[in-house]
Amino acid sequence: MLQNRLSFHQSSVSLEIIGLPDHSNNEDKDQISIISDWKLNIIDKPLIEGKIDHLAQIMYAFYTYSNLLITNETPIYESNLIDIKADNLYIHNVVLKSSKPDVKPLIIKIGNSLLSDIINCFDQLNESSKVRIKKSGFFNNIPKKVRFPLTSKVKFLNIFLPPIISICSIVLFSSTLIYLYNPLENKEKNELIIPR
Amino acid sequence: MLLILETIDLNGIGSLYALSNRLNLNDVLPNKITIWKLRNNNPLRKSYINHNIKIEEFDALIKITVEMSRYLYPFIKKILQSKEDSKMNSVIWCDFHNRFRELIYERFNINSIRVKKLLNQTENDEIIIKSLLILSLCISNEGYKKLKNFLLDF
Repeated sequence: MLQNRLSFHQSSVSLEIIGLPDHSNNEDKDQISIISDWKLNIIDKPLIEGKIDHLAQIMYAFYTYSNLLITNETPIYESNLIDIKADNLYIHNVVLKSSKPDVKPLIIKIGNSLLSDIINCFDQLNESSKVRIKKSGFFNNIPKKVRFPLTSKVKFLNIFLPPIISICSIVLFSSTLIYLYNPLENKEKNELIIPR
Repeated sequence: MLLILETIDLNGIGSLYALSNRLNLNDVLPNKITIWKLRNNNPLRKSYINHNIKIEEFDALIKITVEMSRYLYPFIKKILQSKEDSKMNSVIWCDFHNRFRELIYERFNINSIRVKKLLNQTENDEIIIKSLLILSLCISNEGYKKLKNFLLDF
């Protein structure tokens, strides 16, 4: 059966996805749902290719690393397949480890410009309606802080802050009233006015 | 972010306004003065006014920032590259850096400590690189959501 090929380009990086449509879901002929192969081609760098599981891990690594880089945290990502570390502010070290024994890890140095090209290629793949990636494994495990750090914080505050403020204001208001109104004192006064 | 885009595009204000028209944001940003007023919400600016920016205005500014970085992506990439290989393309970085400093002197309150930090060579480089990187990562169709998340996280 003839396989479908889709390419995503961004300046000096191109990502090729090879696979088949899922006919059991009545998908179009040019759709790719079963990815058999992928190739990440970076100009002047060795070709990176692998299976769908590897692609998911590599995409996850690059997204996490770029988030760490921007949010001022120590930009280090380590896993059994890929390590990314910053040499300095401008150069990043990517170490790709093969799952086969006796194969030396591939070390690639990329700059910020290539990093943004790679991530933009992955963005195009994510946004493409013609490729369906099953986000079963890694994407569901992305820590929430990395995905939407402040959105969740804002939502949390939106839910809990108004009732807390209202309860505090009620307590404050009622405590001032209690301070002003002392029933014992009033009773004593009444006793003074009308002695028994 | 907008100042960085303006450093690259010499007709930055005109481009921002043209993009707001193209994105049908005329209701929120009807003219250049509105954009200028919104940008004056930045406390680092000389002409800072606390105007309580509305959510639609904030969204509109993000949309035009993303659209402009999409157009300027090749230039953003060149500037990032020039810093990676300083021996080869140092002219691009120097030109960009000098114009950025000029714009800071022109628009920002240079007595502020935060602006002084921006003018400091080492800290300035880091801020510029990170801002350029953020802009370059937000050029996809979902770039608007990405940039909003980045900004809210800052």
